[in-house]
Amino acid sequence: MRNADTNSRRTATMTATALFALASSAAVAHHPIHGKFDPDAALTLNGIVTYVDWRNPHTHVFMNVSDGDEVLNWAVELESPIDLEANGWSQATVLPGDAITVSGITARDGTRQIWGDSVLRSDSGSAVFRVSNEPPPPPLAPRPTPRWPDGQPALGGTAESINGYWGYPSATVLVEDGVDVAMDASGMLEDLDDAARVAPMQPWALALYRHRQERSLRDDPMYLNCKPPGGPRQYLSHLGFQLIEDRDSERVFVLIGSGNRNYRIIYLDGREHVGQVGGDDDNPLYYGRSVGSWDGDTLVVDTRGFNEDFWFTSGGLPHTDRLRLIERFTRIDLETLEYEVTIEDDGTYTRPWTSTWMLRWVGGAELPFHLCQHNRP
Amino acid sequence: MRISTWRLVCALLVLGVAGAATAQEGHPLKGSWIGTWESNETHGEFVLVVLDWDGERVSGIINPGTDNIEIDAATLDPEAWSVRIEADAENRDGGTVSYVIEGTIGDLELPNRYITGSWQHDSGGGAFEIRRQ
Repeated sequence: MRNADTNSRRTATMTATALFALASSAAVAHHPIHGKFDPDAALTLNGIVTYVDWRNPHTHVFMNVSDGDEVLNWAVELESPIDLEANGWSQATVLPGDAITVSGITARDGTRQIWGDSVLRSDSGSAVFRVSNEPPPPPLAPRPTPRWPDGQPALGGTAESINGYWGYPSATVLVEDGVDVAMDASGMLEDLDDAARVAPMQPWALALYRHRQERSLRDDPMYLNCKPPGGPRQYLSHLGFQLIEDRDSERVFVLIGSGNRNYRIIYLDGREHVGQVGGDDDNPLYYGRSVGSWDGDTLVVDTRGFNEDFWFTSGGLPHTDRLRLIERFTRIDLETLEYEVTIEDDGTYTRPWTSTWMLRWVGGAELPFHLCQHNRP
Repeated sequence: MRISTWRLVCALLVLGVAGAATAQEGHPLKGSWIGTWESNETHGEFVLVVLDWDGERVSGIINPGTDNIEIDAATLDPEAWSVRIEADAENRDGGTVSYVIEGTIGDLELPNRYITGSWQHDSGGGAFEIRRQ
């Protein structure tokens, strides 16, 4: 029934185009910047580059800054090499000995670290390391959904179509459908009084969510421990994901772009949840256990058995090991994937709730190679 | 002598596992907690508490090193992160003592968060502190 709703899909496509544009202007850091850097501690530095550390999850440019009679070395934190390279920058954009001017906000812990909102060459005043996550312009007319010979939609590439991955999510934070709450790309609310509107939380969950917000999300395990995104957070990262359909074995691999080369498996062979992966029924898992089936042109995935080792979205919404996700993947056309997730967790929420967003096909490109452990923090 | 040895073993146990708390980002009370209820002559000073959350209520046990004490009621007030635990236990004479533990969660954001407060039963009371493992 859902898949027959063509008008709805067209509307969704148009909405997706608008949402892609909205999502593109936000910072794309893998962690909440304000968790580490104080937005009220702005500073401008002039100095000489001493070293460029071009590694994930964040590039660092070190610079010597004269301060009276002494010279202090500062670390300028920038976006990841993946994002910088996508915007045309490289490790050689600035070199040791170059003079630069950096404006940004400084680290909360008082160390000589600054988030580089702006980096200018001192000699020419030209800006470097600017990052925009603008999606490519959509085609004038949507191209049809690629399909396998049996007519089933292809969620990734097929033998006949170009390979690629899904990126440019129209949302970066999990929020209940229909709720309009102002927040930044990392999930920080503009007004903490909006917390209760984000999702139907039980009192303890709302209090914990507020606590995490009050601490500027600095306790996020994805930031603190370089953990990969779990649950629907896998589909909220600008680093994207790839769906590999192993049709012979009736399973789908989800390669997680921001997940330290991790993956999860969705089984489509009709197996039951209980005992499906051989004896770990009592051990909750980081990615849970997933079984799926096709409902028309939509892949419906039922995932249970999550552990509580992670935040399942940016912004700090809690969950318990009672979490169950019903995910619906629908490739509306060649360029657009609709992802809908219903959250059932009666340990955390007062009722099931749903969130939906769109993703853009990045054709002809490899999933970004992002290893958080390369360079911490 | 035996008490000193027992205390040393317990202290080493607490120190040894304190740094190994597993990540737990769900309900703040869920998990295993180790600590002390000071001046408890009925059940000794060292205590292990195991708490669970089923979506509606907190349940669990208190283990003072001998038999488990079933928790009758446990509540969390998230406004102040205050905790109240009630449990009936058997004393050395075979009678029943009713424990009431009241405390507050500290270091809420850490996996090895703690609860500090007080305990009391029919004939005693003192400081109470446990840390999540």
